[in-house]
Amino acid sequence: MANINVHVETGQDNIAPSMQPLAPPKSVDSQSVLRRLQSELMALMMSGDSGISAFPEEDNILCWKGTITGSKDTVFEGTEYKLSLIFPNEYPFKAPKVKFDTTCFHPNVDMHGNICLDILQDKWSSAYDVRTILLSIQSLLGEPNISSPLNQQAAQLWNNQEEYRKMVEKLYKFPAA
Amino acid sequence: MVSDSVAAVPIPSAANTKNPGKKKRTNRSAKLKQYKIDARREQWLNKGAVKNKGCKDGMDDDVHVPPSSGKHAKQELEKLETRRRGEEDDVLIHQESDSESPSNSPVSANSSVLCGNDSGTNFTGSSSSGGSTSSSSSSGGCCSGNITEEEEDEDEEVEEEDDGCLDDWEAVADALAADEKHQNSSHNEPAVETDSSQSREVTGGSGLGHPNSKPGSGGMVPRGSANARAWRADDAFRPQTLPNLSKQHSMPNPDRFFGGGGPWCRTSVPSNCPICCEDLDLTDTSFLPCNCGFRLCLFCHKRILEQDARCPGCRKQYECEPIETEASVHGGSLTLRLARSVSMIERNQYTFVSINVKAGQ
Repeated sequence: MANINVHVETGQDNIAPSMQPLAPPKSVDSQSVLRRLQSELMALMMSGDSGISAFPEEDNILCWKGTITGSKDTVFEGTEYKLSLIFPNEYPFKAPKVKFDTTCFHPNVDMHGNICLDILQDKWSSAYDVRTILLSIQSLLGEPNISSPLNQQAAQLWNNQEEYRKMVEKLYKFPAA
Repeated sequence: MVSDSVAAVPIPSAANTKNPGKKKRTNRSAKLKQYKIDARREQWLNKGAVKNKGCKDGMDDDVHVPPSSGKHAKQELEKLETRRRGEEDDVLIHQESDSESPSNSPVSANSSVLCGNDSGTNFTGSSSSGGSTSSSSSSGGCCSGNITEEEEDEDEEVEEEDDGCLDDWEAVADALAADEKHQNSSHNEPAVETDSSQSREVTGGSGLGHPNSKPGSGGMVPRGSANARAWRADDAFRPQTLPNLSKQHSMPNPDRFFGGGGPWCRTSVPSNCPICCEDLDLTDTSFLPCNCGFRLCLFCHKRILEQDARCPGCRKQYECEPIETEASVHGGSLTLRLARSVSMIERNQYTFVSINVKAGQ
């Protein structure tokens, strides 16, 4: 056993010096982001979740386009929203930036599509992924946080679901394919 | 020599498994090996003029390795190294010890385990062809590959066999370890000894007690590399006592993301880190940094400690002293254990820092 240990250590000595020029820390970093995002994409496509989807843009795997459909039995039923997800190089240790590309009349979404969602800010955890983000946003649509609204008008109208539904339909533009 | 080969085996064979997750490492080690070839070639070119014929053999072998790195080149390299080693034993060339090369005998170890009698045939065949190569090449300085057709065919054959064998080397090692125990009991059963090609493969493949079952028939070994494992999982004659092969544990777990609830809800150990998606090695799987049971690799754990030091699973602050659980060895064989621990060397230095901390406790 001692013999084996010695050899393992010499193996390390041989490998370590020549490893460094091959793998500078920065490329390892972006490689791990790449690896993680590829794995997420695979899992997302395999999972077959209804109502959510996402795919990287052609040239940049750090920029994804996602879609969410409004859940059944909510005022958003039958609508479909496009989002953009931009992943930092530190992903998954830092949260991605997620925005609505489609106008969304929602108490926690502002005019520019910015989303107020705790898990995308201070409650982010590296265990979240694209799938859980999209599912969270999907459930946020039907269960807004009225107490800290970005869209005051939507927050006030939320209690009147019939009026709210009309407003959603009026403002909703079916996203161009 | 013996201990050297023992220590040298796991690195390339671990990199050789077909797991796509290890592709990066494979490329890296292939590059590494290419460096070594270059260095050695230079060494030989410098000394080539005064070296004897045996050394020229070695140089020829090295010279016709294609410069493109990658799996193909690596396998060929390993084979060549193996061959040269075989020649060394015969010719006893005076040259530097090969101990610095990690790729000394992986194929020979594997093929001798998996293909039994086969590897012996390769040695004799290749050493004779090596002789013809050296006699046909007039000077050692030419860099064009002077490979004869025969040799190339042989290369392909060996490679195919290698593919099949290396594919399941972990599984076979496990199976063999268990097989040794149950050999006596299962051996006497007439069912195992039937003449069906499958069971003959099994006995030939295990290479235990049948060293001369098919002497000199290296080319006749069935090429169905899918059948090259010791027992097929659905084999009716497979002894019940054989353990379940743990190979699938090292493959990426496809249902990690949609396993109901969070991935950390599962009590079983995930096969790869949920943060960076790298494979969890033995140290990682025995590493339980948080009471909530969320596992991650040491590398990601260290990185999180440098930032907010909160567990990704429950958002609680990590305690200073990580909880160590008993290491659960899937395969149980020393080879597997060695392979895992050696593969950590290639991962990163952070892992080593953590291990040292662990050992100090």
